[in-house]
Amino acid sequence: MTSSLLHPLELLLAVEENVVREKAASSAISIGEKMDDDDYQLEFVGMISRLATKEWFTARISACVLIPGAFPRMSSSSSSSSSSSGIVYNDGIGGMRMAHIAHFANLCRDDAPMVRRIASRNLGPLLETVVETIGPSCLDTGGVVSTTLLDLYEYLAGGDQPDSVRLHIAQNCVHLGQAMTRVKGSLDGAGEEGLVLPGREGENTLTRINVIVRRVLPLIVATIDDRSWRVRWTAASKFALVAHAFSKLDGSMDELVPAYEKLLQDPEAEVRTAATYNFSEVAKTGAMVYPPGWTGGVLGGDGGRVGYSDARRIPVALRLVQRVAQLTEDDSENVRAALAMVATDLAQVLGRDATLTHLLPPMLLLLRDSTSEVRLNIISSLSLLNDVIGTELLTQSLLPAILDLADDGKWRIRLSVIERIPLLAKQLGKEFFTDRLLTLCVGWLGDDISSIREAAAKNLKDIAALLGSEWSVQNLLPRVKQVMEHQSYLRRMNAVRALSLMATVMDTHTAQWEILPMLLEMHCDPVPNVRFNVAKGLGMIGPMLQTSYEGQILPILTLMMEDPDRDVRYFATQANDTLRAFFDKLNKN
Amino acid sequence: MSTTSDVPSLASMADSVISSSSSSSSSSSSLLWGDVVQQTAGALAHPSPIAGGLGVGGGGVGLAGVPPSSSQHVATTNASSSSSSSSSSSSSSLDSQIERLRRCEYLRECEVKALCLRAREILVDEGNVQRVDAPVTICGDIHGQFYDLVELFKVGGECPDANYLFLGDFVDRGYYSVETFLLLLALKVRYPDRITLIRGNHESRQITQVYGFYDECLRKYGSVNVWRYCTEIFDYLSLSAIIEDRIFTVHGGLSPSINTLDQIRVIDRKQEVPHDGAMCDLMWSDPEEIDGWGLSPRGAGYLFGGDVVAMFNERNDIDLIARAHQLVMEGHRSMFNDALVTVWSAPNYCYRCGNVASILELDENLNKSFKIFDAAPNEARGAPVKNPPPDYFL
Repeated sequence: MTSSLLHPLELLLAVEENVVREKAASSAISIGEKMDDDDYQLEFVGMISRLATKEWFTARISACVLIPGAFPRMSSSSSSSSSSSGIVYNDGIGGMRMAHIAHFANLCRDDAPMVRRIASRNLGPLLETVVETIGPSCLDTGGVVSTTLLDLYEYLAGGDQPDSVRLHIAQNCVHLGQAMTRVKGSLDGAGEEGLVLPGREGENTLTRINVIVRRVLPLIVATIDDRSWRVRWTAASKFALVAHAFSKLDGSMDELVPAYEKLLQDPEAEVRTAATYNFSEVAKTGAMVYPPGWTGGVLGGDGGRVGYSDARRIPVALRLVQRVAQLTEDDSENVRAALAMVATDLAQVLGRDATLTHLLPPMLLLLRDSTSEVRLNIISSLSLLNDVIGTELLTQSLLPAILDLADDGKWRIRLSVIERIPLLAKQLGKEFFTDRLLTLCVGWLGDDISSIREAAAKNLKDIAALLGSEWSVQNLLPRVKQVMEHQSYLRRMNAVRALSLMATVMDTHTAQWEILPMLLEMHCDPVPNVRFNVAKGLGMIGPMLQTSYEGQILPILTLMMEDPDRDVRYFATQANDTLRAFFDKLNKN
Repeated sequence: MSTTSDVPSLASMADSVISSSSSSSSSSSSLLWGDVVQQTAGALAHPSPIAGGLGVGGGGVGLAGVPPSSSQHVATTNASSSSSSSSSSSSSSLDSQIERLRRCEYLRECEVKALCLRAREILVDEGNVQRVDAPVTICGDIHGQFYDLVELFKVGGECPDANYLFLGDFVDRGYYSVETFLLLLALKVRYPDRITLIRGNHESRQITQVYGFYDECLRKYGSVNVWRYCTEIFDYLSLSAIIEDRIFTVHGGLSPSINTLDQIRVIDRKQEVPHDGAMCDLMWSDPEEIDGWGLSPRGAGYLFGGDVVAMFNERNDIDLIARAHQLVMEGHRSMFNDALVTVWSAPNYCYRCGNVASILELDENLNKSFKIFDAAPNEARGAPVKNPPPDYFL
């Protein structure tokens, strides 16, 4: 049955259109999952073999995609098929598995660069699957990883490959690093997991891991100097992944960190920006590295393993933080904006002292950056710095920067500042906020741009929720009252909106005795737009004021339902219907 | 409808720019062609040769040639039969249509038909000089720049919270004429007292066939039915508006055949924009630093000077003429001692002119305040999903 389904898919897996092949591949995989092992070997794996050797390259591309996923279920006994490549692995890999590793190797060396590109993208996943399936034995000197897969890594990283092929080096190395880390982890946790390897065997595996890692690291390091900026950009944007994959493999970071530092100084701004976004993630790997300028020969005779506990090593974060000052002076505002977004993250890793000496000065510099996006990013990420060094130190520098941005000519910048105010208020505390930022927040209610006025109204709601009803009555309501008397209907309307929003987060008493009267007062505004917003507001806050409905709200809504303006009548009716339905339901229960 | 010999040249009917130099150029009483060329050509990308001006036929855009349907490829499901009735859609279904339009999704053909039928009932009752109450916000040309219209509402406030008066030229040139016009029309049907739409020179069958709306409808719906429904509605749009009896608003400007507002009121407006006469002039004319009247380089309408405006304003007891129709790099411009103002609301016109746009907010006491705005940033445009380049380009 299932095989008859597979047949049309096999045809579709060879068509020209990319999207069709992709869908066909995912369908084929889900059909494969339902097949029993015998059918799978015969039909599914057989199909992959045929695809891998088809004349037209699109079929071979599909084979590249399917091999990694199918590998674990392929038979490894050599009875079903004899190896055609003549290679004999000493890790016991054989049969279909061996045949398909050979197929994959051929695909990596395919004449068509399109095939090599897809093979390159799937090489890392294949390696990870192979290691997972076969276990540490495949890492042996004569095993499939060393004899075949690593050769492919090196081949596809070759300078004569198109950059679209080389593009995948970084990601493939991530897969390799993860696979090695997992094997190493299983050795460390051998006792618990029951995967008991004799001590000597474990030692051997560690050595083999080391050999493999030594072989791969130069490939990553080479991408940093690749002539194609797209290759460098890919490496830069994946560097956090790379660093995390290798951070537990002793000594790797001693090679990776200098390479990363080089990316931070790449001639292309895009590459530097991508690298900078990864800054704190790389720093957070927590590995120990030699300080910059250390020339004692990182790769000691024993693969760096002996020197790993060397006292001269420092945390990565401490080494990288020394780059921050330089990045704050980068010509590209995108680099500085990226830095502003991530650098404060370092504070937690660095601790208070290192933050004060190394991180704070450049951060204060960014607060005065000429580009508003940079200042905005730093303000929104400052909370992380606050947690480590406390608010006091920052406040002094923070305020001028906020005031400056609050006045920015671009309204979207002002909007971003407003959106960050509730968070700032939380961090800076009631007193500081009341003293220094309250006037600003109320001032936005009168901004020229409608979106800002609306955001300001919503902001007051958040502030009221944060600082409480009593504080709001004292500090917010008098100012809102002033706006209610403004000569422009747009401002008055916004005051109505702010009141309604604030009421929803106040205690019932405040909503009923302080806000409701103010709102009701506006129902006789000469401009209909204000009046129907009063109706909308009453609909919004009514549900929490059941006791005032009959006495205060209903009479006003009834009046408005007779308004000369049809929109006022509509919104008043709608509000009243909503409230009536709400209270009816409430009373029934 | 036939193309007669006095059809103004479509090529030269394109919008012109108020060039920065025009205000400073000396106003000579004898208007020469050369002056016009100097003053208006060059600033925008339609410097049509004046020689082609009047008297050239509208070459091959006659309506007779409109194919009822073409083999063009049908966009989404909108080609559903046009036979559906004008179902009595309540305000809630209209609200949901407005929501969809605000996301720049266009309506189904049957929905457009129903919407246009409802719009006609409302527009047919409006006067040629529609009365509008203050406070209101005056907006100039939009020209299918949908995301910039969304930006306009972000700056000025959403309808119905703020009241709007749009001075025409909703369609053509931009990529989203369908969505732009339908959104404005839907708002008009939903909130007739909160928004007023008047007709611009692009709200015409002939012009939309040349400048994009016709092609856009054909492309998006696979047939020209939606274009037909919309152009029929164009005929019902008011010609002008008067705000609190003090501010006269019109798309283009004045006409030598119009002295009083009452003369506008008696025009039979329910027709295609004619090639000459009062109705044409209201949509085509431009103010200019001249005395009296001059020939327009557009090939339709006239140029009118400060004295004409002063006389018109005095005779009709109004303070100000607000109009659109001409690109102003700084978004708005006052002329003739503030007796006339041009408002332009299409930022970065045609996606390349680099101008800012403006809207004119009038409060309840008719105090004026211009709001300047830029084109919507790319991230707010929901840019049409750009297909990633095929693999082999990488």
